[in-house]
Amino acid sequence: MDKLANQLRDDAEKIECTISSELDERIQASLQGIKPDPRQRPRRESKSFAFWWASSLTGVAATFVIIAVVNLQAPEPVPAPAAATLPPPVLPTIRWQAETAVLTSPLEQEIENLQSDLKKAEDAVRQDIDRLF
Amino acid sequence: MTSEASLIEAAKKGSVTAFTELVRNHREGLLRFLLTRSSSFADAEDALQDTLINAYRYLHSYDSRWRFSTWLYRIAINNVARLKSVDTVELGDLGDEESDPLRHCIAASDRENLWQCARRRLSDEVYTAMWLRYAEDMSVNDISAVLERSISWTKVNLLRGRKTLDAELNKNATDDKSKAYG
Repeated sequence: MDKLANQLRDDAEKIECTISSELDERIQASLQGIKPDPRQRPRRESKSFAFWWASSLTGVAATFVIIAVVNLQAPEPVPAPAAATLPPPVLPTIRWQAETAVLTSPLEQEIENLQSDLKKAEDAVRQDIDRLF
Repeated sequence: MTSEASLIEAAKKGSVTAFTELVRNHREGLLRFLLTRSSSFADAEDALQDTLINAYRYLHSYDSRWRFSTWLYRIAINNVARLKSVDTVELGDLGDEESDPLRHCIAASDRENLWQCARRRLSDEVYTAMWLRYAEDMSVNDISAVLERSISWTKVNLLRGRKTLDAELNKNATDDKSKAYG
């Protein structure tokens, strides 16, 4: 047991509290006044094979009916597209002034160092966790 | 001695005596925990009463795969959250208030109680995780069940809580040394 854990335990024990007789009586009176709820979750009754068969058939039949109704409807005349009266929008041209970054070896080295630091930090946290819990 | 399982069965059938016996050993620990999370002693007592009533009322939903104390703490935490939402008071802000119940329940000491410091420095969830671990001696698995968090979340946040309190402890030690050397 380490120092911090010991101190936390000791300090928790220093918090003095007792259940007063008044609170005890209050709790007892409340408990006497209620009944435990005996309700269990109602179990669902499993449906019979005929039910699933019938519902599948109904679903398939309904699908066919919908397809038939949609296909039998006369196609609505599609209005001809209006003549283009508006001039085509002029898009502003943007001059990008960007240059391709060239990674020099110090930067690459920096990335490697950072990745290595990250790995070390991750390992340290993992070791701490494994050691403590 | 009557086993916990048989007491639970009897309480489920409506025996208040069995239920009282069942929770007897957990009541003080629960009150102490609620005291550290409530804005007044009366609130903590109310929360304890609500916790026990809810536990009795919904005992049928208790899953024996959990430890009974774990289940009780889950209910207690829900009650505290409900009280907090009703009061709309930030509990972390109560640390220095005269009405802080924790202050009145801690025996006079030459240093600050670490749990007071923890309440100031840690979030509610991390504080609860630390309390369950170090005051109630719960396993990481049980703590993650109480908080409804993953085991890795629990481990990482326990570690963070430790680091924060460790730093505070070291800071206090350094301050004491500085005072000693003038």
